Amino acid sequence: MSLSKTAPFGTLLIFSLKNAPKEWLLKDAPTLIYMAKATLAALLALMISMMLTLPDPRTAIFTTFIVMQPQSGLVFSKSYYRVLGTIAGVVVSFLMVGAFAQEPMWFIFFFAIWIGITTAAGVKYRNFQSYGFVLAGYTLCIVALPVIEQPMEIFNIATSRFSEVMVGILCATVVSEIFFPRKLSDSLLTSERERFESVLASLVDENSLFGAQDMKDAEVVKFSSGVVGVHAVAVNSAFESAIDKRNRLYLEQLNIEFMHLSTTFHSLKNIVGNIELHTSNETVDNLKKLYAPFAKVLQNVSNLDEEGFHSMINQLKELKEIIHSRFTEQQNSLEAHFGSDEYDAFRSAGYLITRILDEFFIYANSYLAFYRLKSSGKATKELSRVVRFKTHTDNLLVTLAALRGSGVLLITMAFWILSGWKYGTLTITMAVVIGLLIGTLPRPLDAVINFLKGAVSAAFVAALYDFYIVPEFATDAYTLSLVVTPVFAFVGWMTTKPKWAGFSLGFVFLFMSQTSFDLYYKIDPTTFLETTIASLLGVSFAGAAYMLVNFWSCSLSQKRVAKVLRGQIVFLCNAPLNFQRGSLESMGRDMIQQFSTQGQLNIRSNRLVYEWLLATLEIGGAIIRVRKNLNRLNGEFKMINQSLEGIKQYFQAPTEALRQSLLESLKNAIKSLHVEHKQEANIVAELPLIRTILLSRVSIPMPKEGSCR
Amino acid sequence: MPLDITLYGIQMPTLLPIFIIVAILQIAIDGIITDTGIYRHVWHPGLFKMALFVCFFTLACLTIYH
Repeated sequence: MSLSKTAPFGTLLIFSLKNAPKEWLLKDAPTLIYMAKATLAALLALMISMMLTLPDPRTAIFTTFIVMQPQSGLVFSKSYYRVLGTIAGVVVSFLMVGAFAQEPMWFIFFFAIWIGITTAAGVKYRNFQSYGFVLAGYTLCIVALPVIEQPMEIFNIATSRFSEVMVGILCATVVSEIFFPRKLSDSLLTSERERFESVLASLVDENSLFGAQDMKDAEVVKFSSGVVGVHAVAVNSAFESAIDKRNRLYLEQLNIEFMHLSTTFHSLKNIVGNIELHTSNETVDNLKKLYAPFAKVLQNVSNLDEEGFHSMINQLKELKEIIHSRFTEQQNSLEAHFGSDEYDAFRSAGYLITRILDEFFIYANSYLAFYRLKSSGKATKELSRVVRFKTHTDNLLVTLAALRGSGVLLITMAFWILSGWKYGTLTITMAVVIGLLIGTLPRPLDAVINFLKGAVSAAFVAALYDFYIVPEFATDAYTLSLVVTPVFAFVGWMTTKPKWAGFSLGFVFLFMSQTSFDLYYKIDPTTFLETTIASLLGVSFAGAAYMLVNFWSCSLSQKRVAKVLRGQIVFLCNAPLNFQRGSLESMGRDMIQQFSTQGQLNIRSNRLVYEWLLATLEIGGAIIRVRKNLNRLNGEFKMINQSLEGIKQYFQAPTEALRQSLLESLKNAIKSLHVEHKQEANIVAELPLIRTILLSRVSIPMPKEGSCR
Repeated sequence: MPLDITLYGIQMPTLLPIFIIVAILQIAIDGIITDTGIYRHVWHPGLFKMALFVCFFTLACLTIYH
């Protein structure tokens, strides 16, 4: 008895003992290494600045923490933009102080304009580019404001700030490149492999397509963020020399192909869901029959090595022919049997199934080529021209951000002038920094509150250091390094936790500005208190601005998104014929991503917007393909042109009457094609798809009542 | 070479222009090495790059401190 009880416990123990080191290596070790690296870089920056007798070593330390990232490619990328931003900020400071040091009104006016521009650009651009603009705005504050009373000092301040930033950047890049370097390029193959396996898993599982529609919200969010995220990695990896251009092109290509595949997959899922609600089981059964051989082939894929891949791709090649001909057969046999709506729905879903197969075939081919390149260094597949990844930022969001940035600056300036407080400049700097920096983070208001919490806790820690630890224990640069190491390590640990982003930012900002990292000890309690209060006031001003300029509501977001999506469809009706589907898809996803982080879409409307996006991508793609085919066929297609015109009119100003007439004209167009040009299967496949999507009212990009509650 | 030089009226340590020139040189060499694929055969590319830079920089510095 006792043996049978202890046996599972024993195996459990052995199992956990076996797995514990592995888990530790995978999860905890990278965090510890990162902590050590961040601490080392910061200490190095402190020592070097002290040795070079730079006036403000804290700027160098601060820089290392800001640019330090787990992977070296990210560090290079962020450093590069930090240097560019600092240069731009310094140059503008020279201009401003040179021209307007005597003219407060003009100085403030141009200051506000510059902050507005940089805030707007920070929201408009992606990745670390946005950070470069943030820096350009913030540098003006830290260079021009302290010297406004003694303008001749500006040259000294500017050169020393610049040298400190350079020291910080060099320390961070050298440390991250030399000690346990983690390359973006190394993680690429693993992450691509994971993605491929998850694609395979969801395609094999027929229930994920034909089962109940209980899509999780996380999945909806992932739909856009995954593709946008991989694109960001590809952009940043350009800064790692070990990853060559070919690798990056493959990565971008795979990303675009994955994007197409996932769009088709999710559209099919949506349409199947609609069919299940509105029509008989027979349609779904027929679709299942069409899909089954594909799932079977994928099921047999056991090991994902080169050989396994090769055989899978060969099987898929044969399968493509079979499924295409089976689909034609099914269409012919079911035509008389179904009503027109049902028949259209079946045709569009069947068409999407064949498209999934085609797109998966292309994706698997590219993946195999990428795999070979990574394992043997040989490129086996010529890359087609890579589609440019397009982004879209709502201009209203950008304008609001600019107004908020300039507004905060003007109000804090007024506070400084009216109060005549010596440390008012600190309030301005802090408020502007938060306006710039937090505006690019998701959910700004929460981030500001966390920033404030971080800043307040840092004030206590800084006080402890300034008035007890540093005077008691630090006698030279070495002992100072020793005593601050725990805090640096703590900050390094915090920056690995995305949940703590706002808090750690606030902590770093205030700890760095308040702790005595000077060449000689010069802190007194009054100055400490005054500067701390000034900084915290700045945080509060910025927080108030985020709270006030917050009339960006969920329904407004929905309206804007719907308008842009409808505009895309109208645009595609007249767009140049070489317009690529990839551009449309990447833009759509990027925009949704932006809106769900900045524009306050709640989870329920996320789901709705996601359906709109899918509908837009499908209708848009179908319009392009129909137009391309029409161009190729060179014939008279009056009905089809009429339907295209109808689509354009409907999406310009959607009304129920227009929808009905559009549905009717699509029906006629499909019929006309069917009767006269049966050989033009390409168009025959696209028009029913448009019609099926239009039939379901939910998916048309139009704000619905009550979806924001 | 002197320890300090004056470039168009600004006095600076000679190390500074040397650093900048070597850094530009390093970027060019790094590009060539990446294209030829030598980094695939190097155990620690980061360390290799760093060492290369230190070699070039100290070589150039020897001309000042000679």
